[in-house]
Amino acid sequence: MTAKGHVSLHGIHKTFGTFEALKGIDLDIQPVEFFALLGPSGSGKTTTLRILAGLEAPDDGRIMIDGNDVTGTQPGERDVAMVFQNYALYPHMTLAANIGFPLKMDGVAKNKIPDLVRQAAARVKIDHLLHRRPGQLSGGQQQRCALARAIVRQPRLFLLDEPLSNLDAQLRLETRVELKKLQRSLDVTTVYVTHDQEEAMTIADRMAVFLDGDIVQVGTPDEVFNRPLSVHVAAFIGSPPMNLFAGQLEQGAVKVGDYEIKLPKSPDHAAGDVTVGVRPSHIRLSDHGLPARLYLSENLGESMLLNFLVDDQLVKVRLPEVRRFAENETTALSFEPEHIHLFDQKTGLRIGS
Amino acid sequence: MARSASKAAAARRNGFLIAAASLLLLIWVFPLIWAVIVSLKSESEVLAYPPRVIFEPTFQNYSDALFGGVSILPSLVTSLIVSTSTTILTIIIAVPAAYAFARLRLRGKKWLGFYTLATQMVPPVGLVIPYFLILNKIGWLDTFQGMVTVYLTFSLPFAIWLLVSYMEDIPREMEEAAFLDKANRFQTLWHIILPQVRGGIAVTVIFIFLNAWNEFLFAVQLGGNTVRPVTVAMFNFVSVEQTLWAKLSAAALVAMLPMIIIGIAAQKQIVKGLTVGAVKGGGRL
Ligand SMILES: Nc1ncnc2c1ncn2[C@@H]1O[C@H](COP(=O)(O)OP(=O)(O)OP(=O)(O)O)[C@@H](O)[C@H]1O
Ligand SMILES: [Mg+2]
Repeated sequence: MTAKGHVSLHGIHKTFGTFEALKGIDLDIQPVEFFALLGPSGSGKTTTLRILAGLEAPDDGRIMIDGNDVTGTQPGERDVAMVFQNYALYPHMTLAANIGFPLKMDGVAKNKIPDLVRQAAARVKIDHLLHRRPGQLSGGQQQRCALARAIVRQPRLFLLDEPLSNLDAQLRLETRVELKKLQRSLDVTTVYVTHDQEEAMTIADRMAVFLDGDIVQVGTPDEVFNRPLSVHVAAFIGSPPMNLFAGQLEQGAVKVGDYEIKLPKSPDHAAGDVTVGVRPSHIRLSDHGLPARLYLSENLGESMLLNFLVDDQLVKVRLPEVRRFAENETTALSFEPEHIHLFDQKTGLRIGS
Repeated sequence: MARSASKAAAARRNGFLIAAASLLLLIWVFPLIWAVIVSLKSESEVLAYPPRVIFEPTFQNYSDALFGGVSILPSLVTSLIVSTSTTILTIIIAVPAAYAFARLRLRGKKWLGFYTLATQMVPPVGLVIPYFLILNKIGWLDTFQGMVTVYLTFSLPFAIWLLVSYMEDIPREMEEAAFLDKANRFQTLWHIILPQVRGGIAVTVIFIFLNAWNEFLFAVQLGGNTVRPVTVAMFNFVSVEQTLWAKLSAAALVAMLPMIIIGIAAQKQIVKGLTVGAVKGGGRL
């Protein structure tokens, strides 16, 4: 049971007409893992998911599920279940019929179906709605129905394409937690597409960051957050994302304008132009550092998000406490040296560890 | 104040619409009423001039038309057979064809689609002689299969294109979900697509049946004594010496009756079917 659901993609290419949607991606997803595909719009996440499901055929590359090459097989032969972004519930069937449909198609004995349907519905707390049709449900209930339809036949692989994107913010947070718990209790490999990095960070065991049809980084949320491999990942992950500055790498230090920061460990990289990245929570207000002028302060309740102007660049700083600030107040920003990220200015790749 | 003004405007508009609709209805319904009146008169009464408003109504014409010497009853049966066969065959062929056009990636689909439509662009009169020659050659003149085949050439393109538009309205994901749920193409068509285009199929059935029932031109040329639908049979009451107006009216009204019944019975389906494409994202049940 536990060894079920090992997925790997090898060199997947996909073009639509002349547009290269996937440029040869490799991916290895472990059994029972909650794996997120994260990336901006149009980066190829849905395409990857659809190729996994068999709804789209890759131009090149191989798809393996549990050691079997499934590249050429039909969706129905792969034993995967998918929740579509718009849920794709069958509008003419009751919820019970919707959830029972995969069982019916799978040839499960008719008298066993109602019980299985009720169990699946109970897991997502919609067992009191089974007689209704999708049109008579709220968005959240429809989403649960789609989940129930996917889990009812205990598939090998569970594919979710932005399942929370049609829910309101409050419900999204609640469902996120439930989804994670559901996945834990089912022990089924789950591939989860989202463009919301916070969602991916909180829900996934590991994730792959997509960019323009390529995977630019694979790792745990911690790894991706704390060690972005490229300036693009750095700019995409975190809310608000990392501040990026043009800087010069020198012997044991990096300079941003006239502000020099001593590095705790000298990176193995030639001196020269680099991009310096610092997260908003790793910048302090102090009396030495980058001179900055307050542009706008946002009170987030428990913390503050300060928008400073350094020359003409907007710099975001997160302050752990709430204070009053006068607009246009000038101060200096200093970076925590152990939390500085350096990237090669030309290649955009990470420098050092 | 602005509100009452707009209310008054709405009321005025409503009044205008009702008046316009009544006028149209009156124009449309007048021949029908006239036919009803004529069918209830005796033949001599019909020809009286000026027409009398007060007369003694008789049902003699109806019983003559149905059971008299030149009864239309057999031809009603003929019409029923031809129209029903045409409708059933059309649906059986058009549903899978429409599905293929709507969903499958076929080579030459565009070209085929145009070809299907092009057959609708030829004026029917231009086809009477070719069809006559073809049917004559294969010995299908004055046969049921001949008539139905000819009607299929008109009903199929129409039905296919009507159904394609209904099927294209169904989100692709719904089918893909079914495929992932291990349904094959046929099961998907049967369980997912067909129930959702029921309204469209009902509309198609009604239109095809109506057209086949009302058809005259081809029936009169390609049928004969064996296949003689009611539209043709009505000419029993028209001869060189005289036209039996009262019996003709009675026969016409009898022939119209199934259409009127279908129209009333399926009114809801027809309206729903015709508007389903127009209301985007509306609840299609
Ligand atoms: N059937 C198709 N035909 C042509 N182009 C397509 C097709 N499907 C996807 N694409 C293109 O491929 C690229 C990747 O699409 P994909 O749907 O995978 O993006 P995504 O990462 O899921 O984005 P989003 O977050 O907006 O859903 C897009 O630029 C899209 O326009
Ligand atoms: Mg997508």
